[in-house]
Amino acid sequence: MARSKPSSSKKQPKRGVDFKKIKRKIGRKLPPPKNATNTEIKSKAIILPEQSVASERAGLAVSKKGLTLKELLQQTSHHNAKVRRDALTGIRDLVLKYPAELTLHKLAIIEKLRERISDEDKVVRETLYQLLKLVIFPALKKDVPGSLISLMMAYIFNGMTHLATDIRLMAFKFFDLVVQHYPSSFFMYAEKVLQNYEDILRKNHIYLQDRSKLKNALVGLVRCLSLLPCNRRTVDPSYGKNTETQGSLHAYELEVPKEHTDFSSIIKRLEDILPILVNCFQDFIPLVHPMSSLDAQSFDCMLYLLRSIDLSVKFFLYGIDKHQTDFGVTKPTYNEKDMPVWGEIATPVFLRKFLEVFPLNQLHNTSGKDEDKFFILNIEITEIFLHSNEWIFTSAILMERFLEFIENLLSGKIRFNSRSGKALQEKHLTSLLPFIPRLVSLVANTWKSRLLQAFTMAFKDCKPESTLNLAFLSAIEEMLLPSKRQGILLLDASEPEILDHQITWIRELPVLLVRLGDTLSSLSKVILHLLLRLGQYAPMNSSLAWEYDIMQHTLGEFYSMCLDDGSILYGPFMKLPKDCQELSVCCLYYFSSLDSLLLRSLVYCCLCDNLEPSVLFRIIDVLHSAYKIGHLQLVDLISFFVTLVARWKVLPGRLYTHVENAKKISNRETFKAITGAVCSCLRQMGDDALIFQIVQRVILDEIPLNPPIDNLCGMLRLLVILDSRPTKLSEQSIIILSNSISEYLIDAASYIPENGDEVTDSNQISICQYYLVPCFFLFDRSDKLLNLVLDLMGSSIGEDNSSLACNHDTQHTLDLSSRIVAVVSILLYMHQDIKIRRRLSSCKGEITRILQKMRLQVYTP
Amino acid sequence: MEVVIASSPVDAGIGCWDLHSGAEQLRYRSCTSTPHGLACVGQRFLVSSQLRDSSSSSGTILYWSWNKPQVEVKSFPAEPIHPLISNSDGTYIIGGGSSGAIYFWEVASGRLLKRWHAHYRAATCLFLSDDESLLVSGAEDGCIRVWSLFMVFDDIGMEMAKHPYEYSFSEHTLRVTDVVSGYGGCNAIIVSASEDRTCKVWSLSRGKLLRSIDFPSIIDAVALDPGEHVFYAGARDGKIYIAALNAESTPSNIYGKHIIGSLSDNSKGVTCLAFSMDGILLVSGSEDGTIRVWDAKTRNIVRIFRLAKGPINNVLVVRRPLYSNFQTSANSHASLSRRHVPLLPPPLSKYVNSTDEIVDSGAITVPQTPSSDIMDAPYLSSHVLTKQISELQQQSSAATGMEVDRLKLDCKRSLEMVQKWKEMFADLHKFCVDELLGNDQTQTQ
Repeated sequence: MARSKPSSSKKQPKRGVDFKKIKRKIGRKLPPPKNATNTEIKSKAIILPEQSVASERAGLAVSKKGLTLKELLQQTSHHNAKVRRDALTGIRDLVLKYPAELTLHKLAIIEKLRERISDEDKVVRETLYQLLKLVIFPALKKDVPGSLISLMMAYIFNGMTHLATDIRLMAFKFFDLVVQHYPSSFFMYAEKVLQNYEDILRKNHIYLQDRSKLKNALVGLVRCLSLLPCNRRTVDPSYGKNTETQGSLHAYELEVPKEHTDFSSIIKRLEDILPILVNCFQDFIPLVHPMSSLDAQSFDCMLYLLRSIDLSVKFFLYGIDKHQTDFGVTKPTYNEKDMPVWGEIATPVFLRKFLEVFPLNQLHNTSGKDEDKFFILNIEITEIFLHSNEWIFTSAILMERFLEFIENLLSGKIRFNSRSGKALQEKHLTSLLPFIPRLVSLVANTWKSRLLQAFTMAFKDCKPESTLNLAFLSAIEEMLLPSKRQGILLLDASEPEILDHQITWIRELPVLLVRLGDTLSSLSKVILHLLLRLGQYAPMNSSLAWEYDIMQHTLGEFYSMCLDDGSILYGPFMKLPKDCQELSVCCLYYFSSLDSLLLRSLVYCCLCDNLEPSVLFRIIDVLHSAYKIGHLQLVDLISFFVTLVARWKVLPGRLYTHVENAKKISNRETFKAITGAVCSCLRQMGDDALIFQIVQRVILDEIPLNPPIDNLCGMLRLLVILDSRPTKLSEQSIIILSNSISEYLIDAASYIPENGDEVTDSNQISICQYYLVPCFFLFDRSDKLLNLVLDLMGSSIGEDNSSLACNHDTQHTLDLSSRIVAVVSILLYMHQDIKIRRRLSSCKGEITRILQKMRLQVYTP
Repeated sequence: MEVVIASSPVDAGIGCWDLHSGAEQLRYRSCTSTPHGLACVGQRFLVSSQLRDSSSSSGTILYWSWNKPQVEVKSFPAEPIHPLISNSDGTYIIGGGSSGAIYFWEVASGRLLKRWHAHYRAATCLFLSDDESLLVSGAEDGCIRVWSLFMVFDDIGMEMAKHPYEYSFSEHTLRVTDVVSGYGGCNAIIVSASEDRTCKVWSLSRGKLLRSIDFPSIIDAVALDPGEHVFYAGARDGKIYIAALNAESTPSNIYGKHIIGSLSDNSKGVTCLAFSMDGILLVSGSEDGTIRVWDAKTRNIVRIFRLAKGPINNVLVVRRPLYSNFQTSANSHASLSRRHVPLLPPPLSKYVNSTDEIVDSGAITVPQTPSSDIMDAPYLSSHVLTKQISELQQQSSAATGMEVDRLKLDCKRSLEMVQKWKEMFADLHKFCVDELLGNDQTQTQ
C-alpha cells in the first residue's frame, strides 16, 4: 500500500487538465460510497493433518490414507510396529492401484522393503511376505535384474543367521519365495543357502515344537532341490519334437549350453546335508510309533524330509550317470579316479540305516486317515529305496519287505480309505511304475513272477481313461522291447512265464485301443507307437512276432467292422487325428502276413467319405511296400486295389465349375489320383501278364454290378495299363466288357462337346477325353471288341420299340432320340481320332447297320 | 575314363557307358542285382549281390573284371546279401544280410573278418562316411544305425560300451530306402529316405534329428549336392525333388516345406541317383529301364541311356582305368597279358574263420592303383618286410657311422666355403665403397 500511493499521486496531475482539481489530503481515506459493493473475502485457516508442508499432492499416487509412496517407504522403518505394518499395507494398496509406480520405483521399494525381512515383529514380516508374494513379485515377473535379487539376498542371508528362530525360519520362507519366482537364483546362492539349511536342520530338536515353521523351511528346501538336475524320464523324443524351427542346418547356433557346470560345491554341501536330513527324519520316528495318531504338521514335516532325501539321492544318481555317459563310452574309463566321485562313499551307510525303518506303522492299525498318511510315507520311502537301489547293496530281508509292499500296492491290497484316495493312489503308482522293469529284471525268480503277476493284473484292471495307462505303457515298452539306450532286452523272453505276461500285454493293447475310441488321442498315439516299435523290433520268427501277427484279428475292429445286417460300424481309426492314423497304417507294414479280413475292414475305411485322401494314399503306399517284402498276398492286394477303384464314391455334380461345387470336382480329382496311384503300383509289381490275368478276373467280377461311370472308367484304365497290343483279354471277358462298354460309351457321350460350339469348356473336353481314352486303347488293341460294341450300340437303337411304345410313348421317343444323338456323337468323336478311324474303316458293316437302324427309327413313327 | 554303370533286378546285365562321350562299353552278363547291391571295388572290378528266390538260403555275390563280360568269381555267403559297398581303396567289401546282420570281408583274401548283428530286420542300405571310419546302415524296420568301424573290431571296447553302435535313429516308421552322408567325417550330416514319405537329415556330431521333410511321394534314392546346399530325392512318382539343406525356405511351396523344385521327365519312378565326379552331372536310374543324365545346374537332360525293359535299381559313376590300349594288345600278347592282369581275388568266405588262422596270416595287401602300369607286385609278403627291417637295424651301426663321417666332412667343407664367400663379399663391399668415395673425392676436387 505504501508503495502504490506515490505512483498514483504522480499520475494525477496529468489527468487533471480537463477535470476539476480535487484537493485531497494525504494520508486520509475517504469513506466508502454508500452504494459500493463489499468485495471483501473472509476466510478461516484450515489445518490439514500433514507433516510435510511442501508436498503438493494433486496428481500424485497416494494410498487409501492419502500417503505417497515416499512417505510410506519412510514409515516402513518407523519404530512402531503398527505403523510399519500399516505402511506395508499402504504400499500394497498403492501398488495395486498404480502398477506403474512399482515399475518406476522398484529399486527404491525393494531397497526399503528388504530391511523388513528381519523385522522383529511377526505380523510385519507376515505382511511383507504377503506383499511380496501377491503383489510385487508377480508384477515384476517380466523384468527383474539380478541386482534386485542380490539386494534381497543380502538381507535374507542376514535373516537366516539371525538369533531369533522365528526370523530365521521366516527368512527361509522368503528365500523360498524368491526361488519360486526366479528359479535361477538358487544356483547363484546354492552353497550358502544349503549351508544355512544344514545349520538349521542340525538344531532341529529346538524346533520340534514349532513344526509349522520347520515345515515352511522344508518346503523351500524341497523346492530348491527339485531344481537340481536329475534323470527325468522324458517321453520318447520322437513323439512330438519340433524340428521345423531350424532354418538352416549349418548355421551358427546362438544357444548357450544351459547346463550349470559347477555342481561340485553343491555336491559337497548336499553330502553334508543328507545325513542331517536322515537324522532329522529319525527324530520323528519315536514320535510316530507310540502315538496313535499323527498330527498333520509332523506328517508334513516327515513328508518333506523324505522328499528332500529323495531329491538329493536322485541328484547324486544323475551325477553318477552323467559321469558314466561322459567318460564311459567315448573314452575308456582309465581316468575315473581323477573325477570327483559323487557322493558315493558316504551315503550308502546311513541310507541303509535309514531304510531299515521301513515300513512305518506296521504294528497297529488305527483310523483310516492315519493309515493313508503312513501309506504315503511308505511310498515315499519306497521311492527313495528304488532310486538308490542301484548303488546300495540291500539285505535280502529288507528287499523282501519292499518287494512285498510294491506287490501289495500293485495288486491293490493296500488301498486308500479316504475319498480322494483313488486319485492319490494313481499319482503314487505313476511315480513307482517306471521302476518296475528294472526291478523285475534284477530280483530273484520267485519275486519276478509275483511282481509281474501283480503288474499284469493292475494293467488289466486299469480303466482306459486313467492317467496310469501312460506309465503302464512305458513300463511295458521297456519290458517288451530292447531299450533304446542299451540296446539289450531287459527280460528274457525265452522263459515261458515272462512270455505269457508279455503276450497278455500285447493282447491287451488293441483292446485298449478300441475301448479308448477317440477320447484320448494322445494315449492312442502312445499305444500305436508301442505297436509300431513292437512290429519293428520283435525278433524275427519269435513268439513275440507271432503274437504281433495274431493281433491283426483284434485290430480289425479298430478300423471298421461289418455287422451282420450288412451295415458298417467304423472303428476309432476314422475319428483319430491324422498322425495317429498314419501311425496305425505304418503298423500294417510289419505284419508278416496281412490277413484278408483286416484288409476288408481297411477297405471299408478307405471307401468312407470322411477319410482324408492323404491317409488313403498312405494306405496304398504301405500295402504296396508290404507286398514288396512279401507280407501280403498278390491276389489280396489286387482285389483290394480293384475294390477301391470299383467302389469309391465319386460325388456327382461334375458339370459345374462354380465355386460351391469346387469340392465335388476335387473329389473326382482325388479319384483320378487314386486310379493313378493304383496303376503305378500295379505296374511296379513285376510280371505284367500274370497280374493282368488276376486284375481281369477281379474286374470282371465287379463289372456286372453296374458300377458308376467313373468307377468303370477307373477299372478300364487299370486294364489298359496292364494290357498290351494285341490284347490279352480272353474271349469271354471281351463279351462281358463289350456289354458294359457300349452302355458306358452312351453315358460318356453326354460329355462330348458339340461341334462348332465355341464356348465349350476346356474342362469338359478333358473330362470327355478322360472317359473315352481308355476305351479307345481297348478298341485299338482288339478289333473284336470294337465290332461287338458297335453291334450292341446298333441293337440298342433298334431294339424292341414295340413293347414299350404303348406305355410311355413320348418318354420312349425322347429316350430313343437322345440315344441316337449319343451314338452319333460317339461315332463322330471316334472318327476324329486317327488311330480309331483306321480301325473303324474295317467295320464298315456295323456302322452301316447302325445307320440303317437309325433311319428305320426316324422314318417309322 | 568316367563311366556310368547300371544294373537291374531282371537279368539285363550290367550296362556301362562313358559318361562324357555316351559310348556304350562292355555289357557284363547275367546280373540280377539287389537294390544298392552293385559296387566297384577299388576301380579294379565290379561286384554285385544277386537276387535269389527265397527258397535258397544262401546268397550270391558275383565278380566281373573290367574286360570280360562273363562272371569270373562267384561266392556264396551264408544268407542273401542285399546292400553291398566297398571302401574306396577296394580292400574291404561290406554287405548287409537279410537277417539284419552286416558282413565285413577282406577282398584280397576273401576272409570274412566280422559279422555282427546290426538290425532286427533286413538291412536295406549301407553308406560309408567320407573318411571311411563310420558306417551308416538302414534297415527294413525303419532304423538307421551309425557304426564306428574302429569300435566294431574292438571286442573289448564293445563289451564296455553300452551299445555297439554310435547312434541308433528310429524316427522313421517304415523301411529306410536310402542313406547318404555328407562331408566332414564324424561331423557330417546324413540324409535318409524312407517309405514313410519323408527324408530326414541327421547330425552325426550331435546324434539328433535336424530336419524332417515330407515329400508328395515315396523317396527311393537320395543324392547330396557336393556343396551340400541341396539334396536330390528320386521319388516313385518319377520326379527328382530338390530339397534345401541350407537356405531358409519359403513356407508356401507347391510341393511342401523345404522342397525348392524338381527335375521331371514324365518317367516312371526314380530308383537310384548318383553324382558324377565333378558334381555337375546327376545320373538317375528309373523303373522304365532308362538312365538319364541331368545337368544339375540347368536342370536339363543331357543324355539318356537304355539298359533294358525292366527297371533299373543301381546306378554308379566310377572312374574306370584306361584299358583300351591294353585290350587291343591283349589278343596279340595273350600269354603276356594273362600275366599282367591281376587275377581277381578269391571268393568271399561264408563264415568267420577261427582266430588262430587270423594270427597266422602273413600277407600285407597293398591295394594297387589301377592307373599305374606296374601290376607285378600287388602283394608284399610281410616276411620280406620284416627281413628288410631287421637288415636295416643290423646295418645301422656300420652304415650310419660312415654316413655320419661323410656328413661331417660335408659340413666342414661347407663351412669353409661359407668363410670364403664371406671374405669375398667383404672385399667386394670394400671395393665398392672405395669406388664411390673416390668418385666423390674427384668431384669435390
